[in-house]
Amino acid sequence: MIKDYNCSYDDMAMIDGDLLKSLGLEIPDVYMHADSMAELSLAVKEQSRETFCKLPFCHTVEAEAMGGNINYGDEKGGPRAKEYVCKSVEDVLKLPEIDFSRGRIHEVLLACRTLYEQGEHVVLQVSGPFTILNTLIDIRYVVRSMRKTPEIMKQVYWKMGDEILKFIEISENYGADMISYADSSGSVKILGPKMAAQVVEDFTYDFLKKVQRIVEGKRLVLLCPKTTYTLLGTEKAVFRDRKLSVPESYGEACIEMIGKVPFSGQMCIKGAQNFLNSAIFKEIAIL
Amino acid sequence: MSNSKEELIAELSRCVLEMEDEEVKEVAQKYIDAGYPAFDGIMSGLVDGMNKASELYDEQEYFVTDILLCSDAMYAGLDMLRPYLPEEEANAEKPAVVIGVVEGDTHDIGKNLVKIMLETAGFEIFDLGRDVPLDRFVDKAREVDAKIICMSTLMTTTMDGMKTVIEKLKSSGIRDHVKVMVGGSPVSQKFADEIGADKYSVNAVDAVRVAKELIGAA
Repeated sequence: MIKDYNCSYDDMAMIDGDLLKSLGLEIPDVYMHADSMAELSLAVKEQSRETFCKLPFCHTVEAEAMGGNINYGDEKGGPRAKEYVCKSVEDVLKLPEIDFSRGRIHEVLLACRTLYEQGEHVVLQVSGPFTILNTLIDIRYVVRSMRKTPEIMKQVYWKMGDEILKFIEISENYGADMISYADSSGSVKILGPKMAAQVVEDFTYDFLKKVQRIVEGKRLVLLCPKTTYTLLGTEKAVFRDRKLSVPESYGEACIEMIGKVPFSGQMCIKGAQNFLNSAIFKEIAIL
Repeated sequence: MSNSKEELIAELSRCVLEMEDEEVKEVAQKYIDAGYPAFDGIMSGLVDGMNKASELYDEQEYFVTDILLCSDAMYAGLDMLRPYLPEEEANAEKPAVVIGVVEGDTHDIGKNLVKIMLETAGFEIFDLGRDVPLDRFVDKAREVDAKIICMSTLMTTTMDGMKTVIEKLKSSGIRDHVKVMVGGSPVSQKFADEIGADKYSVNAVDAVRVAKELIGAA
């Protein structure tokens, strides 16, 4: 049975306005330009006393790169969908492939490189298909297609998935030594256990096997625990204990595990400061 | 399938509950052809099915996707039966509700579920969508003489927008004419009390009870 992981909403923090002012940075510039992104990401890391920098600051980058219409936001709210650009899942299948050499997605990669060259560990936060779709199309069309035309939905998942794989692959050249993968819009709480399990069968399991081939021995993927639970609940993965060199924070442990295991997912990335007293790191082993 | 009124009504209810948005049209057509009153088909059939679905949602047997698909079936049936409502039923005044997700937030699944439930319960819904500029809640409420404003958000960073809407209602002089209910994961009754909202609803099913209570129809 797939359990749900409850997000801690207190951690859904917007960018700190005081921090922005102190750096002389502005919204929406920090969402759009590499130098501002890198500067803010480093400042956030230092303010939070974390062990890695995270980019980007929103979940609209991939959707925008595929043609999504984005409101870049202001002090009241970050980047979000302005209007849906697709009126059917068939429209989604016609969206262009991502050109990683231009636009905001390219700025994100450049910011990763800037931080890497400064000696920072960099987590590239990528979104799963439902989160990307949420910016492109009304979920009602997605849900209908899941029930009535599941074969088309499978193509839609992989349309998104292939672009995400390319994003993960190319980010290695820009110094992102960790990837964070989350797809909260496709959680079991929304889809229900039956549809959530079907998504694992149709997409998530094979997708993560491909991700593993890209990152194995080189990088670490931090899975959102919601994704972890879908894998565990469908018996597609198990936890495997890994001994750490010392008891340390989850963030420090992730850094230690880069290249040693492909997937972590025992807690939310926002819990990176939680201390692992037992010095046990839980690898998510895809079966 | 028998064509008795009761059996067709039961079929309409089943079609909604089982998300049969094509079959419901066939059943609705049979019901119409048999000359049975559209009102009963809607209330005892389609709405009954939706109510059963919402009970299952409350029991965590049905999920968001199920409710969205059930509502597809319900609306498909409504489209068939509504033209056959007697004029006085079709034009019966329904309490107007303005609903939307506050500015800065685009999470609208919960809001859409509340909309479906309130429509099923007989409210007239004016859906402002998501990422709604705060003035629009006030402007629309005034325009349609709304009895209730429903606001939702999933983000702690946009919750204050709800308080701003309430302040705008006061400065516009219509706060006493409209009830305010709020919802969303970070929202609570305590928060609702702090910002001067009338009520908080914990989920879409509870929203119906709360809305009826607010207009004195509970």
